[in-house]
Amino acid sequence: MRNLVVLCMLFTAVLSAQDNYTVSGIVKEASNGETAFGASVFLKGTSIGSVSNEYGFYSITAPKGTYALVVSYMGFEETSQEIVLDKDQKIDFEIKELSTQLEEIVIVAEETERASLKKPEMSVSKLNIKTVKQMPVVLGEVDVIKSLQMLPGVTKNGEGSGGFHVRGGAVDQNLVLLDEAIIYNTSHMLGFFSVFNADAIKDIKLYKGGIPARFGGRTSSVLDVRQKDGNSKHLALTGGIGLISSRLAIEGPMFNDKGSFLIAGRSSYVNAILAAANDKNRLGFYDLNLKTNYKLNTNNKLYLSGYFGRDSFKFGDSFSSSYGNASGNLRWNHIFNDRLFSNLSLIYSKYDYDLELNDDEFNWISSIKNYNVKYDLKYYVSDKFKFDFGASGIYYDFDPGQVRPTSETSPVNPLSLDRKKAFESALYVNAEHKITDKLTAQYGIRFSGFSRLGGQAMTDYENNQPVVYNSTLGIYERGTAIGETNYKKSETIKEFGNLEPRASLAYQLNDKSSIKAGFSRSAQYIHLLSNTTSITPLDVWTTSGKFIKPQLSNQYALGYFRNFNDKKYSIEVEGYFKTTDNRIDYIDGSDLIGQNTIETEILNGEARAYGLEFLLRKNEGRFTGWFAYTISKAEQRTPGGTAGGPGINNGDWYNSSFDRTHDLSITGAYQLNDKWSFGGNLVFQTGRPVTYPNGQFQYEGQSIASYSARNSDRLSAYHRLDVSATYKPNKKPNNRWKGEWVFGIYNVYNRKNAASVSFSQNQELGINEATRTAIFGMVPSVTYNFKF
Amino acid sequence: MKTYFKLTLLFFIVAFTSCEDVIDVDVQTAPTRLVIEASLDWEKGTIGNNQTITLSKSAPYFDTTTITGVTNASVKVTNDNDNTEFIFAHQGNGVYTTTNFVPVINDSYTLEVVYDGETYMASETLNAVTDITDLTQSVEDGFDDEELEVNVIFTDPEDEENYYLLKFEKEGDLFPALESGDDEFVNGNEITWWFEKEEDEDTDKIEAFRPGDTVDISFFGISEAYSNYIGILIEQLEPDGPFGTTPVPLKGNCVNTTSPDNYAFGYFRVTQVVKTSYTFE
Repeated sequence: MRNLVVLCMLFTAVLSAQDNYTVSGIVKEASNGETAFGASVFLKGTSIGSVSNEYGFYSITAPKGTYALVVSYMGFEETSQEIVLDKDQKIDFEIKELSTQLEEIVIVAEETERASLKKPEMSVSKLNIKTVKQMPVVLGEVDVIKSLQMLPGVTKNGEGSGGFHVRGGAVDQNLVLLDEAIIYNTSHMLGFFSVFNADAIKDIKLYKGGIPARFGGRTSSVLDVRQKDGNSKHLALTGGIGLISSRLAIEGPMFNDKGSFLIAGRSSYVNAILAAANDKNRLGFYDLNLKTNYKLNTNNKLYLSGYFGRDSFKFGDSFSSSYGNASGNLRWNHIFNDRLFSNLSLIYSKYDYDLELNDDEFNWISSIKNYNVKYDLKYYVSDKFKFDFGASGIYYDFDPGQVRPTSETSPVNPLSLDRKKAFESALYVNAEHKITDKLTAQYGIRFSGFSRLGGQAMTDYENNQPVVYNSTLGIYERGTAIGETNYKKSETIKEFGNLEPRASLAYQLNDKSSIKAGFSRSAQYIHLLSNTTSITPLDVWTTSGKFIKPQLSNQYALGYFRNFNDKKYSIEVEGYFKTTDNRIDYIDGSDLIGQNTIETEILNGEARAYGLEFLLRKNEGRFTGWFAYTISKAEQRTPGGTAGGPGINNGDWYNSSFDRTHDLSITGAYQLNDKWSFGGNLVFQTGRPVTYPNGQFQYEGQSIASYSARNSDRLSAYHRLDVSATYKPNKKPNNRWKGEWVFGIYNVYNRKNAASVSFSQNQELGINEATRTAIFGMVPSVTYNFKF
Repeated sequence: MKTYFKLTLLFFIVAFTSCEDVIDVDVQTAPTRLVIEASLDWEKGTIGNNQTITLSKSAPYFDTTTITGVTNASVKVTNDNDNTEFIFAHQGNGVYTTTNFVPVINDSYTLEVVYDGETYMASETLNAVTDITDLTQSVEDGFDDEELEVNVIFTDPEDEENYYLLKFEKEGDLFPALESGDDEFVNGNEITWWFEKEEDEDTDKIEAFRPGDTVDISFFGISEAYSNYIGILIEQLEPDGPFGTTPVPLKGNCVNTTSPDNYAFGYFRVTQVVKTSYTFE
């Protein structure tokens, strides 16, 4: 690593002319001291500029001279300062929020309109937490994940399913980071709420493609969620009281103004309602966000953050379960000099669940844990050249399942599925290069390695085939085990290495429009096993190894970006094509539960997705909002491979269950006056691909459905309209207590959108029928939010 | 084990679902196939001479006309160990019977059906079944701890992998409930297999067991291959909404040796079975 630093410094020396000087510093919000991520800092009248990073740091290098240094950030007043650049200097900024709400910008898809045309970064959506808070939501709980689904290229697999899908990718192909810690399950209560407490979040950035080289390990997208640092100016309280849940956050300065803290909690109170109704069932969730930071000196700052969330439920005395994420992160920001910024992170994260079956007297636990060390550096070489580079190591500990009898009389034997251990490492370097005033490029490479560690026995199969095609019956069967190979702790079962090049290019056609192109390759070494229509909290992660290959994905994207009407409106059009190798697919009748030899249930297949996304935004005025439309296709195919035979679904391409031909979302906010504002969402999507019966036969005295090819039918189209109204009562200007009422109606016209349609024989009449399960009808809500 | 996971997910659906309704859906229609229900079940303690095989045709999914039997096929079963042939004679409406079948534990049998110029073949081994040691009733166990359930108690043989099929039919019901399982998590233990019927709160159509109700119970020892087949079949009988596994085509063991793509639905199974019944008190 040190060599790399030296190398970059040498590079700088070559590139920078003698009389260049650097100005660097931190950009913060004046009201609460939160650092501003993505603020545009530039020298007026030149094309020299920089964008503040996650920690608010910026650095600009320019020839000697006198300039106006300008900071521009969406929703904030433009700040300018005269500088005489005749030596290296440090200038920190505190920027003020725009005083009038009417001017508030709804979405910041890029740093500024100005930057968005020039930066080669594409396929990125940044959502301001204020925007998210304005959107109508189900049950009045602000939801980051649901807001993302209003953007082009992002969908979910129907109501009642967790996670989200990006550009035809699966849920487990999204890297979800909360303050850099991997979050394995993004939802509470199966997707009804997201795990992100809006009061603790600063901003959200979703990379749908063109993933920078510093991220890796997932093939579809990166959702980078950053928690607030905590108000460093004064003690502040925010909270909300809703019908299902309530939240409270407290933040303020600490350590003699050298740091600040944030504690945010959220809890549902369904349990209290159930208890009051004398119901023996329990259902609920809670979560806790913690963050604190401490400034050692101008060049060194420490951050400590944590998250703990849990869902739990109980069905009478029969069984109970709970599941959730936990994570912790210690970071050290170190500024080597005014051009070299570094961050070292130590991260722990965990997802686990447990099931307790009282009748049969046993419990079941399962978990995935990881320990992660990351070191990231950014070198601001010159106004034309910036370098990112760093290294990361992740140690995984998978505990797929353990069964423990809870009494002497339990009929169940104790069982432990093999624990799996693995190490994922990466080195990367990435350059932002301004080739000419109109042409900028971002190119980099990531080298990732993965070792599946020993310390366990692996089953050996006849002919090395864990799955075998039975050509007589035309079905895939489990292979025959012929023994075991024992791997010592010091041994590696299997190793993989991949070079992942990433590149994108932006060409500015004129001061209103630009075109961009990008390519990225990414590797994914861990996989979520799920053969159900929707993923569930009880699904288990597994690792690449002897029989499971890493997923490898290539994505190509091309886009056109334009601002018009004095930047009041903007248009983004992007096309993408993506292929993924080694996507896991499940043989007919696969049994994943308590399965020690997952390789006997799966085959390695491939996936491809392509689409065209269109986004029209109105950025300013009383009415703001956007219109997003995506036309796309996502499909997969699994040939027999080493197992022989034609493959799953006869080896034919079939629609992935998250394929949506058309996906339309319109979202808008209207500010009527100081007291009232309104919001609305309209969503229309092609129905989810499903498998319906194409015949029946009599067997064991009943009608048995025979099903068609995989996903060859579709549910009917999904659509709904949501509205909300926010009322802010009049307040004395110097009253610190600010309250607001949010009234909302989800699914206004009460459409029964099918979460699933299942086929069975009516037990009374004996006729076959199709039963639709709809989750949400019309849901009204009211929430009271406050700030103090 | 699977059952517990399914119950857990079912709970979520019950907790959140605002509505379930029957809707009209257009489905595809596949070409008709021959259906072979060849279940040679040897009831423990009997000679097992009398066996029946039923042949019929598949139909479009929402077809409500009575399914008619296939009457002009020839059906025979051979014991692979001694080549004894058992000819099944047509009795009308697709029902074929024999009166001289000889069941032998662990012997392999082959079925041959010739119909419409095509030959269908299947092989299966006769699996033994352990005895039911006790039948009891209780209220507090099962999914719902306020409803009656019947408990079938047996001891799993420790030295082998065992696969079970249980059939419960409440007298007066239109059709039986099927459940299958194996000894993966419970090998060698005394097993209590509970069965209860859920009250359907919306329709009140399905009623839980009441004192005086009688339930007929069949307990089969089955092969691993048949366990895989019937497992998928049972899972797809009552799909679990959004958390159900994606449905798959059901392929049995009856292979069409003349034109392989035209395989038959159904299965050729040879099992040992314990039959009993229980009346709730």
